[in-house]
Amino acid sequence: MSNQLMILLAVLLFPGGVFALVLGLALKGADRRVAARLQSRVGPPLLQPFFDIIKLGFKRTLVPEVASETVFLYAPLIGVISMVLAAALVPITAVYTPAPAIGNLLVLLYLLMIPGVVLMIAGSASGSPYGAIGFSREMAMMIAYEGPLVLIAAAVAIRTGVGMGGTVSFSLSDIIAYQQTHGSFLLDPVMWPALAAFCFFYPANIGIVPFDIPEAETEVLEGPLLEYSGPTLALFKIMSALKKVVVLNLGIALFLPFAPENWLLALVVWLVKMLVLMLVGVTALRVAIGRMRIDQAFIFFLKWPLLLAVASLAVVVVV
Amino acid sequence: MNFLTLFARNLRTGPQTEAFPLGPAFTPEKLRGRIVFNAENCEGCRICERVCPAGAIKFAKSPDGMTFDCWHNTCVFCGNCEFYCPTDAIHQTNDWNLAHVQADKFAMVEHGLIPNMKCSDCGATALNTAPMVKNVKPPLSEAELGEVRSRCPKCRAKYLKNRKVPS
Amino acid sequence: MGLIPNFKTLATRSPWLYRINAGSCNGCDVEMAVTALIPRYDVERLGCQYCGSPKHADIVLISGPLTVRVKDAVLRLYEEIPDPKVTVAVGVCPISGGIFRESYAVLAPIDQYIPIDVNVPGCPPRPQAIIAGVAKAIEIWRERL
Repeated sequence: MSNQLMILLAVLLFPGGVFALVLGLALKGADRRVAARLQSRVGPPLLQPFFDIIKLGFKRTLVPEVASETVFLYAPLIGVISMVLAAALVPITAVYTPAPAIGNLLVLLYLLMIPGVVLMIAGSASGSPYGAIGFSREMAMMIAYEGPLVLIAAAVAIRTGVGMGGTVSFSLSDIIAYQQTHGSFLLDPVMWPALAAFCFFYPANIGIVPFDIPEAETEVLEGPLLEYSGPTLALFKIMSALKKVVVLNLGIALFLPFAPENWLLALVVWLVKMLVLMLVGVTALRVAIGRMRIDQAFIFFLKWPLLLAVASLAVVVVV
Repeated sequence: MNFLTLFARNLRTGPQTEAFPLGPAFTPEKLRGRIVFNAENCEGCRICERVCPAGAIKFAKSPDGMTFDCWHNTCVFCGNCEFYCPTDAIHQTNDWNLAHVQADKFAMVEHGLIPNMKCSDCGATALNTAPMVKNVKPPLSEAELGEVRSRCPKCRAKYLKNRKVPS
Repeated sequence: MGLIPNFKTLATRSPWLYRINAGSCNGCDVEMAVTALIPRYDVERLGCQYCGSPKHADIVLISGPLTVRVKDAVLRLYEEIPDPKVTVAVGVCPISGGIFRESYAVLAPIDQYIPIDVNVPGCPPRPQAIIAGVAKAIEIWRERL
C-alpha cells in the first residue's frame, strides 16, 4: 500500500507532476532569457512561461467547426499525463529512485513517443490543413529520431547488462548504479558515439529551432497547435515543459549520473547539469542555426545520428 | 565558428535595447512628428491645405474668423505644409508619442483660429492675418507691421502703395 | 478570492501579439517587424510574443486601410481571435484612411467594422510609438480579463 502511495507521490509531486512542471517552465524561462542575451536583447523575465500559462488560463477555448471535438480537447491531456508519468520514471542520482515496477527504459521509450503522437492526433483532429502538414512533418521527424534513440538505449542497456554480468539491463536504477561504481558513460570511450547521437537527438525531441519543423510558426503557423487556444494550448505548453525535463533527465541518467552522496548536494548538481544541457544543447543551438527543411532534417537524422547509434551499438556488442 | 565570437561579444557587451517604455526614448532633433500651428503667423494663403497629400488640413469659415484644423490621425508627417508655408506658421515638432485610446480619436486635432477684426482704416470686417510683406523693400519696421496688420487687404495694398520710403 | 486579481495582474504580463494586414502598403508591417525583431526595441521584454496563429493572440495589431477585397478575410480572422482581446490600429490608414482615404477600393476607417481600442497614428509610426500603443493596450486588456 505504501509502495503504491510512494508511486502516486512520485507521479504527482516530486520528480513528476508539480516539481517537473515548475522546473520545466523555469528552464524555458532561462532558455528564453539567455537566448535574448545571446541576441543582445534584454529578454522576458525569468518567470515569463508561468505568466504565459496563467494568461492562457483566462482565455476562451475555441473549437473549429470541422474539428472532432472530443479528440481535439482530450489529446493534450493524454500528452500531459504521459509526460507526468515519464517524469516519475527517470531516477535522479542519490535523490530519487523509481519503484522497480516502473523504472524501466523501455517503458520510458514508449512514453517519450506519446507527445509526438499527441501532436499528430491533435493536428489531424483540428481539421486544419496546417495541422495536416504538421501531422505529416511530425511523423517524418519521429521516424527520423526515434530510431537512433532506441539504438542508443539498447547500447546503454547492453553495456550495463554486460558490465553487471548479465546480458541486457533496461532498468534505469541498474544503469545508474553501474555508472556510480564504474564511472559515468561520459568518460567511457566506447559510449562516445552513443553520446554524440544523443546530443543530436534531444534538441529534436524537445522541438527547438533547427528541428521544430512540425511546429514552425513562420511556415505552417505552429502546425498542430494552430487551432488551439486558451487552456488547451496551455496544456500543450505544459506538455512540452515536462518533456524538456524528461528528455534532459534521461540524458543525465544515461550518460552523466555522477553525483555526491548527500542528497541535497546531489539535487543541486543535477539542477546544474540540467541547466548546462539546456543552455548548451538547446539555447545556443537554436540561436545559432536557422530552421532546417523537413527533407534536410530527415536525411540528416537518418545519416549522422543513426550512423553514430549503430556504430555505438556495434562497438558495445563487440567490446 | 563565427557565431561563437558573436555570442561571446554579445554576452560581454550586454543588451543593446533602448530603455523605452520603462525609460525615456531616444528622439532625433529633426524627427518629423506632430504638427503645431501658430495662428499669429498665418497669412491665410491656404497653401498647406492644398499641398497636404492626405487632406489632413482643413480651413473653414466661421463667425469668429477662419479656423484651421489638422487631424493628426490623417496626417502622414510628410512636412509639405511646413516646407510651403510662406510665413512659418506651421511647424513639425519631434513629438512622436501620439498613441491614444479610441475615445480620444477625434480629439487628436491641432486647432487654430484666425480671428476677424475691424479694419482700422475703412472699418470693414477682415481676417487678422499676418501681412504678406516678405518681398517689400525696404523691410517694414515693427510699427509699420502693426499698422499693416490692423487693416483689411484692400487698405493694406493702399497703405503699402502710399508708403513713404525713408531715404 | 484574493488570488484571482493577483493572477490577472500576472496574466497581463504575457500579451501575445498578432498582426493583421488589412491591405497595408507594408510600411507599418516593416515597423512592426522591426519592433519585434531587432534588439534595440525588444518587445519580448514586456512579455510580448508574436504568434503565428490568430487563436493564440491577445493583442491584435491591424495595419492598412481595409481594402474591399480583404474585408471578409480580415473580419473572419478577427472573429477567430479568442476573447478577451484588444485591438490596436497601427498607422493612419486603419484610423482614418490616411493617404488612401477617398479611394473607391478602400473601406477605411476600420472602426466601422471592427471595434478598435487603441490608435497609433503615423505613416508609419515609430517603433517606440508602437510600443507605447501596445503598453496602452495592455492597460485596457487588464480591465477586460
